[in-house]
Order: sequence, then C-alpha cells, then structure tokens
Amino acid sequence: MSTITIALPSKGRIKEDTAGVFERAGLAITAVGNDRSYRGRIEGMEGVEIAYLSASEIARELASGAVDFGVTGEDLVREGMAGADGRVEFCARLGFGHADVVVAVPEIWLDVETMADLGDVAADFRARHGRRLAIATKYWRLTQQFFSSQHGIQLYRIVESLGATEGAPAAGQADIIVDITSTGSTLRANHLKILSDGVILKSEACLVRARKQAHEQDPRIARIVEAVRAAL
Amino acid sequence: MPLIDMPDFSSDLLAEFAARRTERVNTPVIQPAEPFLDMAGEDLRRRIFLTESETGANLCLRPEFTIPVCLRHIETATGTPKRYSYLGEVFRQRRDGSHEFYQAGIEDLGDKDIASSDARAIGDATGILKALLPGRKLALTLGDQAVFEAVVKALGLPFGWQRRLIHAFGDMAHLEALLERLARPQPVTGLDPQIAELIASDNEADLVARIDRTMQETGYSTNASRSPTEIARRLKEKLELAETRLDGTALLLLREFLTLQLPLAEAPAALAGFADAAGLKLGAAVSRFDARLAALANAGADLSAMTYRAAFGRPLDYYTGLVFEMTEAGSSAVLAGGGRFDRLLTLLGAREHIPAVGFSLWLDRIEAARASR
Repeated sequence: MSTITIALPSKGRIKEDTAGVFERAGLAITAVGNDRSYRGRIEGMEGVEIAYLSASEIARELASGAVDFGVTGEDLVREGMAGADGRVEFCARLGFGHADVVVAVPEIWLDVETMADLGDVAADFRARHGRRLAIATKYWRLTQQFFSSQHGIQLYRIVESLGATEGAPAAGQADIIVDITSTGSTLRANHLKILSDGVILKSEACLVRARKQAHEQDPRIARIVEAVRAAL
Repeated sequence: MPLIDMPDFSSDLLAEFAARRTERVNTPVIQPAEPFLDMAGEDLRRRIFLTESETGANLCLRPEFTIPVCLRHIETATGTPKRYSYLGEVFRQRRDGSHEFYQAGIEDLGDKDIASSDARAIGDATGILKALLPGRKLALTLGDQAVFEAVVKALGLPFGWQRRLIHAFGDMAHLEALLERLARPQPVTGLDPQIAELIASDNEADLVARIDRTMQETGYSTNASRSPTEIARRLKEKLELAETRLDGTALLLLREFLTLQLPLAEAPAALAGFADAAGLKLGAAVSRFDARLAALANAGADLSAMTYRAAFGRPLDYYTGLVFEMTEAGSSAVLAGGGRFDRLLTLLGAREHIPAVGFSLWLDRIEAARASR
C-alpha cells in the first residue's frame, strides 16, 4: 500500500493543539530524527507519514493532491482552491483556530450596516469618486464569491493585502477590508465595524482529506478519520 | 500575423466586414488589466489570465475586444462616427472548452441615430451568421434596459430605489431579493438616538459636523474616501428608502413585466397593453423601442425569428439599452452577442459622449455549428 501523508501545521498554538487531538485520538506523533525535524510518524501505524508545513502550504498541497490529509484553517482551504467541496472533504472540525472571515467598514460609515447598504455605496462609488470601491484583502476568492454570488455586488476592486489589512482604510489604500478576526479587538482598535450580515465564513482548524480514488479501498483512511472524530 | 490556425471561414468573415464598410483594427494581445477589472468587476479576475510586468503593473491576455477597441479609439482620437471590426484570439479561463479561442465582431461608435444603428448591429450579426451558416434556422433574443428603466420610473418609486432596481437588471436573483425588500420593508434599527434626532429634525449641518469630528478624532480624515456630507446624506436617504413599500398591485405589475417573453413583432402591442392596463406612462422608452423595430423591418430583418424577453439584460453599468443574443434555433450555444453601451467610452476616459453599439461572434461555436451537419 502506498504511503499516506498527513500535513500538519509546523508551528505555533495550532501545532500544539493538533498534536493534542492526535494524541487523544490514539495517533501519537513522534518526530523523525530530532525535535526540530519537519517529518514525523504515527506510532503503531505503518506507512503513515507526517509532514510539517506552514498552514497556507497545507491548503496548497491539499489542492494539488500531494498530501492525503491536512490540518489547517477552513478559510485557507476555501480561499486556496475553486470548488473546494468537490476536491477535498472536511472530515472533522477540530474546535480550535477559530477565526471569522468578515467584511468590515469604517465605523464612521453610519449609513452602512448591511451588505445591501454596501451594494448601494459600491454602485454609486465610481460616479462620486472616479474609481471603484476598493477592498483590501488576502481573500480575493472568498470575497468575490460572497460579493458577486450572494449579494449581487460586482463593481468593486480588490487591493491585495498581505498583512496589517486593518490599517488599509485609514492609510487610504482601500475603503473597506475583508479579513479574519477572532475577537474583533484589532478591528475596533482600527475603528472598523463588521457588517451585520458580513460574516463570510466561520472558520476553524479542520481535518481535511484530498479526495482520491485510492482512498476508497484503504482502511487506514477511515481509521484515521474515525479516530480523530472520536477524540473531539 | 500567423493565419494558420484561424477558422477556415476567416477570409469569408473578413470579406463580410469589408463589404459592411468597417475598418479592421487590431489590438495587442497583452493588455493592461485595470480597464477590464474596472469595467466588468472583480468577477472577471478568476476568468482572465493575469500577469505582472517587471514594474508591477497588472497585465492580462486580451479577454475580449470591445474595451481594447474603444481604448484604441480614444487614444487615436480620430473622431466619430467609426465602424470598427476585429478578428483575433481572446483568452479566458473556462470550465468547458478551450482557454484560447477566436472572436470577431463590429463596434459602431458615435452614430447618433440610435434606432438605425441598433438595427444595423442586429442586421450585421444576422447577415454574417447567415453567410457562415447557410440554410440554418437562427433565433434571436432581444432585451432592452431602457424599457425596464421606464417601467421602474413610472411606478413612482423614490430615485434611490429606481437606481437599485436598474442596477440589478439582468441579475434575476438580485432583483428578486430587492422586490422582496420592497414587499416587506424593514425599518432601520440600532441607530444612535442622538443621530436619529439630528436626522429627524433635518439638521444636516450638525450631523455633518458630528461625523467630521469623529473622523478627526479617529485619524480617519486624511485618507477618507467618503466625506461626512456623503455619509450624512446617504444615511438620510437610507432611512427614507427603508420605509418605502411597493403595494401588492405595483409589485405584481413589476413581476408580470419581468416575465414578458413573446415574438418581437408582438412586443409593441404587448408593451402598450401592459402600460395601459397598469396605468403607466412608458413614453419615450417605448417609442424608441418601436422606432428600432421599424428600423429592423425597414432593413428587411426577419422579425419572426426574434423574441423579446423583458428580463434580458446585463448587470453592468455601461449597458444602456439594446442587448441581443443569437443561437441556432433550438440550441443554447450563443453564436453572437451584442448590445448598446453608451456609457462605456466616457467611463474609459473619452471626453465627449459617444453612443456605441456592437456585437461579437463566437468563432469556435460557429465552427462547431458548421461542422455539425
């Protein structure tokens, strides 16, 4: 049987929380070589390999099918590939790494509380300001799906932002943002507010499986999924 | 230009373009991406091939011809009227079919006679398709945003609501959601009582001052795109619009209008009947609709193959009137699509208003249709 590769986050809280879940699932991970190695294996399970990667790389490796399982945020998976549900299966929601992907606008936009309000503002924006409404985000796919498909808002421009997105409106780089937030405190500190129907995705860390034909005949796949689910 | 993999009917097509007195233009395959994303919206981003220049400028492979042809017209400043034709490859990410395929078409810029230039665009598209697909039965669907706009205006809705509905025209799901809101207005809640008071007493100056003060305090003023006045006025308008209720009869009328679909020749009578029964004055929009029909009939168009569908439109803000699509009868593959885009040239930077109408031909589908017999 071929090797099953599980990609896990390589650092931070999410790495520890993941190790905890796997341990409780009876899938204790040991590092291959030394503690700082980026490879590991599961005790008592042959042919299963752990690869420690960064969270966004895990989404990419799942998309390409280079790994069989990955633990990473739902936001990164859905942002990283088109038609995510056809290509991967969200096997279990792990209960940590909570973050909402939200649409946030300047608090002082007293007239904008809903996506419909934002649609009105966007429709008029070019006539008033000579350019389209600009949205700073690193989530261009999620933004585009949410704005176009769910709210019929087409006319806006995405300004790609790779960090400190909350500062973009005050800095004049964009008018509004789409970003992740867990407590909302950074948004508030930057005088931004979340629209009442502006939660695009309630994300958390998930065990995600790349949909592959070979998985159907492989009992180890079902075993891993069941063990993790039982540990939650 | 390598001509090897062009469709085998390309020379017939170019002969048609020449006979129809158009000036053939070419545009670079590599285009600045901004105008496309600006005009068509971010939805286009996942469907075009984007790249970056060494200096960081967004570039893309030409996804269509209308915008490049119009930009070229503005740059060369050769005056109007102009009839341009094009034939070349376009590049789009598609689920089905090839990512690179040929398109050809005609853009008619600056003709002030709307009815006759609309009719000519339809006539050109029909004539060319007939020449390329001899003996085939073709079907044309026609829509007209101006008629929808007239219906919405005649219903006496506040301007803000008219704008919302017109903006959504062509996107049925969005339009339905708006009609739902009009049927069941939701009052705005949660407004700061002091601000509500300022609006109730129509004290715009104080409201603007208050917004301005908060902006100053939060360090947001320097780069604010929306001014305190804009925010204050829209807040007031929003509260008014939230109270707007369209009564059941009017809502029914609007829905009835959107379901209209009938042979084009019967459309004037149907629209007049609708306006009469509804007690609406559709005035100029309907006379222009009739004038276009007369121009089509004058040009000898086969009206029996044409259908009017009231809800047919494109939810982009530069389309203004006519839209049309042509297929083989009984098929859903669009062979030609076109419309009037009177707002596009000024949006792209033209100094004067340039009315424009045009269409493009999907050469890969035409090729498939030719091969299918």
